[in-house]
Amino acid sequence: MSAVTVPSVVPDEGEGVGVAARLRSRVARGRGALRGRGYLVWVFVLLVIAAFAVFGDLLAPIDPALQAPRDRLLGPMSSTDSGLHVFGTDQLGRDLFGRVIVGTRLTVVIALASMVAGSLVGTAAGLVAGFYGGPVDRLVSRVAEAQTAMPMFLIAILLVSLVGASVVNLVIVLPTLVWPSFARIVRAETLRLRQAGFMEAAVVVGGSNGWIMGRHLLPNLATRIVTLTVVSTGQVILAEAGLSFLGAGVQAPDTTWGLLVSTGREYLAVAWWLTIVPGVFLVLTVLALNMLGRRYTDDRGAAA
Amino acid sequence: MLGRLRDGAVVLLLVLAAVFVLSAIVGDPAGVMAPTDASEEEIARIAHQLGTDRPLLTQAGDYFGGVVTGDLGESTWQNRPALDVIADALPATIRLTLAGIAVAALLGVTFGVLAGARPGSRLDRWANVVATVGLSVPTFWLGLLLIVVFAVQLRLVPTSGDTEWKSLILPAATVGFEHGGRIFQLVRSAVAEEVSKPYVLVARSRGLSHRGVVGRHVLRNSGMLILTTVGWEYVRLWGGAVFAVEVVFAWPGIGQTIITATDRQDFPVVQAGVIVAGAFVVLANLAVDVLYRVVDRRVQVA
Repeated sequence: MSAVTVPSVVPDEGEGVGVAARLRSRVARGRGALRGRGYLVWVFVLLVIAAFAVFGDLLAPIDPALQAPRDRLLGPMSSTDSGLHVFGTDQLGRDLFGRVIVGTRLTVVIALASMVAGSLVGTAAGLVAGFYGGPVDRLVSRVAEAQTAMPMFLIAILLVSLVGASVVNLVIVLPTLVWPSFARIVRAETLRLRQAGFMEAAVVVGGSNGWIMGRHLLPNLATRIVTLTVVSTGQVILAEAGLSFLGAGVQAPDTTWGLLVSTGREYLAVAWWLTIVPGVFLVLTVLALNMLGRRYTDDRGAAA
Repeated sequence: MLGRLRDGAVVLLLVLAAVFVLSAIVGDPAGVMAPTDASEEEIARIAHQLGTDRPLLTQAGDYFGGVVTGDLGESTWQNRPALDVIADALPATIRLTLAGIAVAALLGVTFGVLAGARPGSRLDRWANVVATVGLSVPTFWLGLLLIVVFAVQLRLVPTSGDTEWKSLILPAATVGFEHGGRIFQLVRSAVAEEVSKPYVLVARSRGLSHRGVVGRHVLRNSGMLILTTVGWEYVRLWGGAVFAVEVVFAWPGIGQTIITATDRQDFPVVQAGVIVAGAFVVLANLAVDVLYRVVDRRVQVA
């Protein structure tokens, strides 16, 4: 491990040693308890987004594919023959709210696919590195470090300039942004757990390496992996949106929130809602993920 | 130290190799650059011009030779060396990234120190919320939001371009908000950790004010970490974060140049831009790392 703290996805809370710090953390804990159920708001946000992703246009109040040339670029809360356009209409007269709902599915699918790939690779690499140590560990750590140092965003743009933009490219590039942090954190935790009594017991009863890793190490790593997944998902969503905005990601007629912002930009001076509204959904989703991830780290800090 | 330099060289080679593999093996620059209705012969002619019809080894030799001698091909759109096109765009990107990191550092370090000095205080909690919002907002969208409010509605600043000193305000603020959020989080946790150390309690018990201890000892001890954090955020900007901001504000830097070149199928410029920015990221990362180790002897040099 490099001695320098590479900015980690999950900010580590400083562990207090002094009396003052203990007092202070008790104060913080009291306030944390008062803050109480605020996190349910964020859970609710994510549930709504999940519903959008699963049910798609079934939830749209107005058919999002319906074009109405006469109702182009209407502002939020305008009414037309087809009903109330809560977020207004786009350049083809389509209902923006419906378009945002439709864009949710691909946004979520890309994020989840990338997260599954990235977290699986990273967790496996970290587990193997931490468990076997020695040359395996050195190799994995080196590769992860090199990957972190590679400007993947730039390489993605180059890739797209050569083979064209597509969802497949995104699902190739996005996991490379997340797997190193999984590898780093899982490795560190595995190294720590290797000292634990239950590990010795598992070896003594003659367990195979695979069995020890799968049945004993992995369950103990689960909470750590889940938090990391929550926070990283937000980052992947932002990266996808950024690439799609630069024209290096999803292409029409497919749509994601990032692409909606990008197309809306052409009408920025006359129809700000086309740009601002899809972005608000992006912000709320990522904020919800970050808030929930942070809440968990806060709790862990207080429990320690 | 040598190990660090070697690692940096390896990563630089990896970046260059990745660019080569993508352009020579995965992609087909001639096909990309040819007009859509080009005949087979025309594509073959472009391929011959680019040299992509030659054996891979020759191409690899030419490519790495070109990187060393600064010959990265000709821009098809501007009819001059691709590297010149990128070099012309560099000053604008440097100006934007420096202004942006200045805003980010001002916000992040100031509030990070204030919040970290008193963990759990009202300021700490609020600054944390604002920083989390900063990290949750897509940079390009924040830029567009600022344009809508300050340029379109209030007409205080120009919407885009680099025409007057006021042009820099919105792009720098956009960069500063997001990256300030990350600097805040890292500075805050570094300072909070330092404040919880026993020596702070000892100094307090000897009658020093909390502010005095933070100013005199805590800041000095976490100063290097703060500097490195800012350094890393600056490098991160070059890794692509600033490009979206350039596109949003039509800022004439290399991000904007690369994206325009992609649209114009001017592949050599895209390649040159990625190589220049990529090499900068790797080398600057290395520099920050080495600097950190040289100045702070407590960190063992690997």
